[in-house]
Amino acid sequence: MKQKIRLDALIQQARGEQSPRVDVAGRVLTVLAARRQQPILASERLFMWLAAASSAAAVPAAILGFFLYNANSEPLREIAEAISWIVQ
Amino acid sequence: MRHGAINLAFAVDRTKNAPALDEADLEDARDSLEGDSEAYRRLVERHQAYVGQILWRFSRDRQVHEELVQDVFVEAYLNLNSYREEAPFAHWLARIATRVGYRYWKQTKRQRRRENFSFKDWDQLLAEPSERMDPSQAAALVHELLAQLPPRDRLVLTLRYLQELDVAEAARRTGWSKTMVKVQTWRALKKLQKIAARAGKEISLS
Repeated sequence: MKQKIRLDALIQQARGEQSPRVDVAGRVLTVLAARRQQPILASERLFMWLAAASSAAAVPAAILGFFLYNANSEPLREIAEAISWIVQ
Repeated sequence: MRHGAINLAFAVDRTKNAPALDEADLEDARDSLEGDSEAYRRLVERHQAYVGQILWRFSRDRQVHEELVQDVFVEAYLNLNSYREEAPFAHWLARIATRVGYRYWKQTKRQRRRENFSFKDWDQLLAEPSERMDPSQAAALVHELLAQLPPRDRLVLTLRYLQELDVAEAARRTGWSKTMVKVQTWRALKKLQKIAARAGKEISLS
């Protein structure tokens, strides 16, 4: 015959156990303080503005360049001329 | 939501018997959100024993236990804006603690499987009635036995039997449906019976 384990009685007894005392307040606050973002330095701020300004200037310059190129050339004909010697 | 995943999003308890909110908790939670670290310290100090009690059932290693409690409060702070002040702060923390504990079990799952478990060590301990057993000793035995189960089964049995939660509360804690909690409990008990049967033992659990 199988030996019976009265798990319910064991669990009931286990419920009476007290957990060890913990005091994590100080450590939690330290971890949270370390996680907070560092303030951005003035030099970093300057580089950020420069990067933003150059990006802002690059986009209209690229668009303008595209339209100017199309207006002053005929890309399809240039390609045809470039490969004409192969066709011949 | 992924099947079986614990959902951190706070389920609002709209039952008629919803427990009263603690004004001090609400005030400190609001102040913490505005960056008052002393307010958060008060919240941690007020609830760390409760969270510690929950997590002691997930790890009986003192160092790991402290780390888990710490993780709960760090996670709680980072999600503080999702606390909707419609149920006690402690309930919200209990859900996070369950999630942290469950995650710990999943992370250490492989390691536990390598450990050899034997009922032989139990025989001597179980010779005396459980009622006379030291609660810590009884808890260690239960912990050791439940550790043989996969994390999901272990979680549901821990919540239902060790923490004495009803199906509805266990469902709230895990983010599972009530049906899922019932099915998972049934499956977990079956697995436990199988483990015991392999050692020529039978487990009685009402």
